[in-house]
Amino acid sequence: MNPTKFLIRTFKDYYTKNAANLPEVSKFTNREFAFLPWDKSIMLRHMSFENIASFSHYLINSAPKHVYSSGSLYNHPEIPNMEKKGYEGCDLIIDIDVDHFYTPCKDDHDGWYCKSCFKNGKGMPLACPECGSLKLKRVSWICEKCLDVAKKEVLKLLDNFLIPDFGIDQKSIMIAFSGHRGYHLKVEDKNLRTLSSDARREIIDYLTGNNLNFELLGLRARSGIVYGISQENIGWAKKLNNEIERLLKQSELDIEHFLLNIGFKKNRIRSFLNQKEIFLERFKNSELNDWSMEGFDIDKWKIFLSGIAKRVGANIDEPVSVDIHRLIRYPGTLHGKTGFKVQELSIGELADFNPLDATTKSKDPIVFQQQGIDINLKIIEEFVPATKIKGITYGPYDQGDKICVPKHIAVYLLCKEVAEPMSMI
Amino acid sequence: MNISPELLFHYPWLPSLEEFYSDVSDPVEFLKKFHSKFQLSDYESRILNLFRSAFENLEEINDFIADELNAYLYVFVKILVYIFDNKRIANRIANLYSKQSYKELLNDNEDANLYDICRDLNLNVRYGDTVKFKEVFDKGQKEILETRFSIEFQDYLNLSIYLRDDNRKLCHKALVDGYVYLEKREVKRLLQEFVRRKFMIEDADNKNALEKLKQEFFKFEEFKSIYENILNEWELKKEEFEYSVDIHFEEGKEFQGLFPPCIKEIMTKAEEGQNLTHIERLYLVFFLHALKFPNETIIDVFKGLPDFDRKKTEYQVEFAKKKGYTPHSCNTLKSLNLCMAAKYEDPLCLKGYMSKKYNEQRTIKHPLFYVQYYQFKRSMMKNKQKISNKKENESN
Repeated sequence: MNPTKFLIRTFKDYYTKNAANLPEVSKFTNREFAFLPWDKSIMLRHMSFENIASFSHYLINSAPKHVYSSGSLYNHPEIPNMEKKGYEGCDLIIDIDVDHFYTPCKDDHDGWYCKSCFKNGKGMPLACPECGSLKLKRVSWICEKCLDVAKKEVLKLLDNFLIPDFGIDQKSIMIAFSGHRGYHLKVEDKNLRTLSSDARREIIDYLTGNNLNFELLGLRARSGIVYGISQENIGWAKKLNNEIERLLKQSELDIEHFLLNIGFKKNRIRSFLNQKEIFLERFKNSELNDWSMEGFDIDKWKIFLSGIAKRVGANIDEPVSVDIHRLIRYPGTLHGKTGFKVQELSIGELADFNPLDATTKSKDPIVFQQQGIDINLKIIEEFVPATKIKGITYGPYDQGDKICVPKHIAVYLLCKEVAEPMSMI
Repeated sequence: MNISPELLFHYPWLPSLEEFYSDVSDPVEFLKKFHSKFQLSDYESRILNLFRSAFENLEEINDFIADELNAYLYVFVKILVYIFDNKRIANRIANLYSKQSYKELLNDNEDANLYDICRDLNLNVRYGDTVKFKEVFDKGQKEILETRFSIEFQDYLNLSIYLRDDNRKLCHKALVDGYVYLEKREVKRLLQEFVRRKFMIEDADNKNALEKLKQEFFKFEEFKSIYENILNEWELKKEEFEYSVDIHFEEGKEFQGLFPPCIKEIMTKAEEGQNLTHIERLYLVFFLHALKFPNETIIDVFKGLPDFDRKKTEYQVEFAKKKGYTPHSCNTLKSLNLCMAAKYEDPLCLKGYMSKKYNEQRTIKHPLFYVQYYQFKRSMMKNKQKISNKKENESN
């Protein structure tokens, strides 16, 4: 059976049963809608709907692979010319996607295949370790650990930045599991909507800690003395100091690991660890904020603080937030690479949410789990990593394996294009 | 908002001006009232002095008096700037007014006035207990920064985005519960920028309508006489810095059209006589040096700037050349808000290029690569043309 036909039919079934209950995004008629069909790689853009009913109807009829609406508001969302759309402002969108940062588990579940020498392997190498070719096909997988890291980044954004620093009203924050490898966060606030791309970049720099100038936060070197960042400072200065203290209270192994990661040599690390206790005492109590330490001039402190800033800042996909014409997945629709639902969540629901094993049915992104329906598939990809969904591990599989799996796993593997259906049981 | 007339006399750019003088929104009505209230002798010298101060790049308006006439003159000057339809004149007036306003604000130590000004501008400001928000240790001395003022971050971003110095970046500010703590001096600096932007003009879409309006205004003889006076002075003045940014640095190599949008933007501003920030100036000099433009050509680019000083520019351009600094990377330009890829919708900057070597779409990371890329494309086109010409000749 043709896998695309199977998926279109499956998605259609889903929309027939659920499209009427899709949430209505705010300012619905001012949003641009976009769809990616199964048979084309061109996005159908510049569409608008008079109401949620006509949108639902469209989904039932066309069952697209991906469904998006704009973060922006337009007077005429249906006009293709961006200049003539009548731009009215854009919500602040933040995308947290594990594709954009390293997690150790990727070494286990992400795979690659060299198009030059046909070698394959696990992890995320930049080039083929066998022949050095850069022509790699990559297979990115999902796992609970990756998704947990992404969730922690969302919590970090909320608890350390958006709510305490930016004072964003919790009611204006919309959170959604993207249906694949991350989360989307949308802030709907009329003042924020007016911000230009440049202003949004400033917000992103604040959230990530990119482009921090430590001297402007108080770091100085004068006559051989390094003056650190004061404990009294508010803003990023305080965040950095809190993180330094947290790091220094960790085990020596953890500190060593951190210093190695930011590029310090063994001798310097040893020197730092030897002086750590004295420094910690001075760090907390010195009136003059004297951070002088043997082997640590101001440039070394800047490297150190850059490393600290990376720990404090959030890992986000920056261009998404800066772009004022960005499209975002529509909540409640299906992700064409997994068959999972884009699941809206409240801030309170986020901490306990596990997208691969959700406990509440109404918040479960895995919508194709049906008792007693198993599907026969043939694995067509060189290597398919193990997938743990709903507490059960499926795979790993090798090319040519014939498997019989529950419907939600079959939809996932077909969406990932690593298998093809054999026959329905 | 109840604002005192005295504040309006000092700061006529405040929105409350319309409440006091309801006819300011209709320029013809305004001119009628203005000419019935004041004689030419009352204001002629003040207006001319104001424009002369602007043309001479002075730091303040000569004979500035914060009286009722000053409030009227502000509207009068705005009308003049509008019908001059000349960005250089507009920028010079903008710079002068902003500097004068900053000076007035610095001289005004009354917190209540600063608060009222912000509120009148519809800025969300808070005035509360003194908050110590920053301590800096330097040479054994402790410098403490404290304030009673904080401003909502959206307003802060909208005002500060045009200031390019690193210190104004939000990540270097004390941001708590949606408000940025600022020293009074910083608030005043933001207001200065606000005033500067009040005078910025866009290219008039409809030149005929503008001309019609001008003729309407010229029915006021005094207005026409002032207009012509100023225009004559400008004609004399502009010869000092008129120039053309037609840059060739090596025979046979044409660079116009190969510049990335970030450089195009700064060059356009320079051409229009807009003030350039320190960072913009540095970046432009580093960039042109990197392409080995002669010093004289680089200096000429700055000739139209409001504060152009040939000797200083010569020294700085030469100094930068000796140091051999590399122009900023795309990432740095983005963080400095100098990246103009989106504004110019430049496909190379936004989407990158297809690398044959790596068989993938790659983004450009440095503005110099932009020039290299298009130079390469251009040479490829020339080679193709040569080959096709050769083939054509052979077949003939």
